[in-house]
Amino acid sequence: MIYSSWKEVDNWVDKMPDEYKSSYNRLKRFSEVLTTEPEPLVGQTPKEVIWTKNKSKLYRYQPAIKKTNKVPILMVYALINKPYILDLSPGNSLIEHLTNQGHDVYLLDWGTAGYEDRHMKLEDYIMDYIPRATKKVLQTSNAKELSVLGYCMGGTMTSIFAALHPELPIRNLIFMTSPFDFSDAGHYTNWLDKRYFNLDKLVDTMGNISPEFIDFGNKLLNPIQNFYGPYVSLAERADNENFVEGWKLMQKWLKDGIPFPGESYRQWIGEFYQENKLINDELYVRGRQVKLSEIKANVLNIAASRDNIALPHQVEALNDKISSKNKTFHLLETGHVSVTVGRTAINETYPLIDEWLVEHSK
Amino acid sequence: MSHTLPIDPFKIWQDIYNKTENAWSDAIQDTLGKESFSEGLGQTLNSYLQYQEFVTKTAEAYLTQFNMPSRDEVANVASLVINTENKIDHLEDQLEQLAEENTKEINSLKRTISNLDKKLDRVLAEIEKNEKAGATAKKK
Repeated sequence: MIYSSWKEVDNWVDKMPDEYKSSYNRLKRFSEVLTTEPEPLVGQTPKEVIWTKNKSKLYRYQPAIKKTNKVPILMVYALINKPYILDLSPGNSLIEHLTNQGHDVYLLDWGTAGYEDRHMKLEDYIMDYIPRATKKVLQTSNAKELSVLGYCMGGTMTSIFAALHPELPIRNLIFMTSPFDFSDAGHYTNWLDKRYFNLDKLVDTMGNISPEFIDFGNKLLNPIQNFYGPYVSLAERADNENFVEGWKLMQKWLKDGIPFPGESYRQWIGEFYQENKLINDELYVRGRQVKLSEIKANVLNIAASRDNIALPHQVEALNDKISSKNKTFHLLETGHVSVTVGRTAINETYPLIDEWLVEHSK
Repeated sequence: MSHTLPIDPFKIWQDIYNKTENAWSDAIQDTLGKESFSEGLGQTLNSYLQYQEFVTKTAEAYLTQFNMPSRDEVANVASLVINTENKIDHLEDQLEQLAEENTKEINSLKRTISNLDKKLDRVLAEIEKNEKAGATAKKK
């Protein structure tokens, strides 16, 4: 019935002038994308699981492809995302790009934390998961050294891991939009003020923090643009299939978060946002002081100028603290998510990382 | 000639959005940065948490009454499984370490035996040389 009505409308529109047809088709496509279209396929680069722990998995990408770069790379992303953010879709994937360039790429998938994981602390992930994954990468690739890439909060965790494990052969570190200095975190600094934000009550009541809660906070940083902007853009360019594909991928990423384990959230907000312990050498992990100055590996630190989640000055602060002789800070003219997805990512981020890795793996 | 409908709903929407964004963006950012906003946000969160706590407690009481496991109890079982898995991980670590140490020890033994073998060869060669020298002396 509905189908036949639409068919009639279509026939009627067909008789109208071209410019009317174009507007109608955009409206139709817009409603299709929002209501009936399936979600895009993501994480399609072939991979194998080489290690598991609790919900975590360690992947090796395209093991059959010849690895010409002798230093393998381990990727660590934020606890609140899904692993496919670094392997979105063919042609739009950092992992696929690096694998195709002959890099031996590994990714530590955190899995989805259940209610039973609410007591997991950041240090559990930093001390029990990342070092073990590192050893597995070295064993599997039969390499003497490795590179580690940390994305967003995953980069902050990676910096702590690298500072506490000088015995591990980490040759290169890449940080992508990872905050290190929390003294001025934009609106978050006010919103998470201890006087108003009841962190303990939140964690004790909720157990794990829902992805919707985190997403709402991120969107509130720029409400009109984040809540309505995407739909206005889609309405404007719904007749451009490339744009629609990119739009769907971006929306899937943004809406597809996972719960933040409660104790990790308590630490992340309390010790990082509220007390800014990391950059001031005041952070203790299992009784050990974290000094970023212990980092001696080659460092590529990437920030995005329009990022309002990890502000560029929060990211850049790392370079003044580390002891690495070879350290680069690179600012891209884009936003937090667009560092890894979309045109800027394909044209700038992927080649930048590839070339830097090749140069520092000889 | 215009390329859009005389009354294009997209265009109207887009215009409203652009005008709103331009006109209100600074005002909204100012509001978001105010202490009173943080205070309000905190109060809203507290009210929500109070409600959530009430819902959780009510659900738990209901489940207890009907002799059904609560979320905490199910999570406890999962924790036991995770703990067991951790112990297996730990054992795996120890086995790997043992295997590594064994390989090192075996390699070291191999080197020692090889050195002994070489020394023995030299001793045998010396004995042979001495025997030959003795035999030559006897003939003379």
